[in-house]
Amino acid sequence: MAISDVKEYTHLTEEEVEQIGRELDAIRTEIEESRGAKDAAYINRLIKVQRGLAAAGRVTLLASSATGKAKKPAWVAGAALLGVAKILENMEIGHNVMHGQWDWMNDPEIHSSNWEWDTAQPAEQWKHSHNYIHHQFTNVLGYDNDIGYGILRMAREQKWHPVYIGQPIYNALLASLFQWGVALHDLDLERIRKGQKDPKEMKRQLRQIARKGRNQILKDYVVYPALSGKGWKWTLTANMTANLMRNLWAYVIIFCGHFPDGAMHFTEEEIEDETRSEWYLRQILGAANFEGGPLLHIMSGNLGFQIEHHLFPDLPSNRYADIAVRVRALCEKYDIPYTIGPLHRQYGQALRTIIKLSLPNKMTSSDQPEPPTPARDRKRRSDAERPPRRQELGGWMRSAS
Amino acid sequence: MDAERVVIAVADGRVPDVTAARWVTQCALSRICGSCAESLGRPVAFLGTPEEVARNAFHLPPMHVDCADALRRTPDADPTWALVRTAGFEFVRPAREDLDRHPRFEPNSLL
Repeated sequence: MAISDVKEYTHLTEEEVEQIGRELDAIRTEIEESRGAKDAAYINRLIKVQRGLAAAGRVTLLASSATGKAKKPAWVAGAALLGVAKILENMEIGHNVMHGQWDWMNDPEIHSSNWEWDTAQPAEQWKHSHNYIHHQFTNVLGYDNDIGYGILRMAREQKWHPVYIGQPIYNALLASLFQWGVALHDLDLERIRKGQKDPKEMKRQLRQIARKGRNQILKDYVVYPALSGKGWKWTLTANMTANLMRNLWAYVIIFCGHFPDGAMHFTEEEIEDETRSEWYLRQILGAANFEGGPLLHIMSGNLGFQIEHHLFPDLPSNRYADIAVRVRALCEKYDIPYTIGPLHRQYGQALRTIIKLSLPNKMTSSDQPEPPTPARDRKRRSDAERPPRRQELGGWMRSAS
Repeated sequence: MDAERVVIAVADGRVPDVTAARWVTQCALSRICGSCAESLGRPVAFLGTPEEVARNAFHLPPMHVDCADALRRTPDADPTWALVRTAGFEFVRPAREDLDRHPRFEPNSLL
C-alpha cells in the first residue's frame, strides 16, 4: 500500500503518524467551533462583490455598444470585469460552496445542494468527479482523473505512448478550453476509450452536459449579445474573452495544486483501510501550495493553500491562511515535506513536467526532490502492473455492476 | 445497530450495502443521497439509533428527508431509528485509536 510508502518516505513511527493526526484533528475542531458570523459575512460580502462586478461588466458592455467614442476602453473594462466575476464565481464561491464549506449556515442559496455555477460542467457531475474522485483518491495513479485530465501524461509511472509527443499542444488546448475539458471530466474518457463505461450512464451524463453547455452558450453568445443590439459583436467577443480569462486562470491554479516538483503521486491498489492520520499524510504529500497576497488567494479560491484545502475540504476557505501557518509548523516539526513556492515557479515546474513527459522516460530525468531521509524502494509499478480502475469512476454507484 | 447488515435499495432496484465504507464516503463527498443516489437537498436527513443521536455521530449516509422517512418504514428498519434534520455535516474518517472503525457523520447545524 502506498500509504506504507508514505511512512517509509517520512520515516515516521506509527505513533508519530497518529500524533500528527491528532494535532490536525485539533485544528479542525477549533475551526468548526469558532466558525460563525464573521465567516458568514465574508462569503456574503464576496458574493455581493462578485455580482456587482458581473453587473458592472454587463452594463459597461451595453453602454459601450451604444457609444461611439469610448468603445475600445469600455470593451476592455467590460471584458475584464466579467472575467474577474467569472473567476470569483467559479474559484472562491462555486468550488467552495459545492464542497459544503458553507452548509452550516443553513442558507437556502449558499448550500452545496443548490449551487449551480457559471461554467459548462453540471454541478452534480463536479461533486462526483472532484469532491469524491479527486479528493478521496488524491494523486492515486489510475484513479484520480485530475492527473492529466485523461489527455496528459503527468507522472513518470504512466506508460509513454507516441501520442504524448503532442502533449504541449494538448496542454495549450486544455488551458484555452478548460471549462469544456472540465465539463467532460466526469465522463472518464479513459473508460470510454476502453469500452468500460456503462452506455446508459454515459448518455445520461452527456444529456446533462449538453443541457448545461447549451445554456452557457445561449447566455454568453446569444442572449447578452442580442441585448446589445447593433453592438452584439462587441459583447460576444467580450464574453468570449472573459471565458478565456477564466479558463486560463483556473487551469493555471489547478495545475499548480498537484504538479509542481515535490507533490507526490501514489500507486496504491486499496486505500480503504487508511486511517484518518494516514489519509491526512497523503493529502499533505500529494498537494502543493503557492505564495501570494490576500487578493491572489481570493482570486484563486484559496487554492494557493492546496494542502490545507485537501486536509479540510469542507472548512471555510477564508480560514485556510490561518490554518496554513499551523500546518506548516507541524510539517517542520515532523520533517514532512511541505511543497510551496511562488505561483510562477509552481506553474513553471508543472509546465516543465508536461513538456518533459511528452518524451519517453529514458530521454529525460526526474525532477522530484529526494526525500528528506534516504528513501527505500517505493515499489512503484507500471501501468500494466497496476490494478484495474475503480468501478465507480466516472459514474454513480447505481451504474456500477 | 448492526452497521454491517443494513441494506437499502437504490433507484434502479439494486441493493448495495449502504454502510459499506466506499458507498458512505462517496455519498458524503459527492453530496448524494445514500438511498436514491440523487443529489442531496436541504435539509439533509440522517437516521440513527438513540445512541447515535446522543453521540451526534451517524453511520448511515446522508439522505433526502423523504428517502430517510421511507427507509424508516421498511420491514428491515431498526424500530429505534430517529430521523434528524441538519443543514450540514462533518464527515469523519475513523482514526486508529477509535473503537468505532466506521466512517461517521456529525451533523453541524441541526434543524
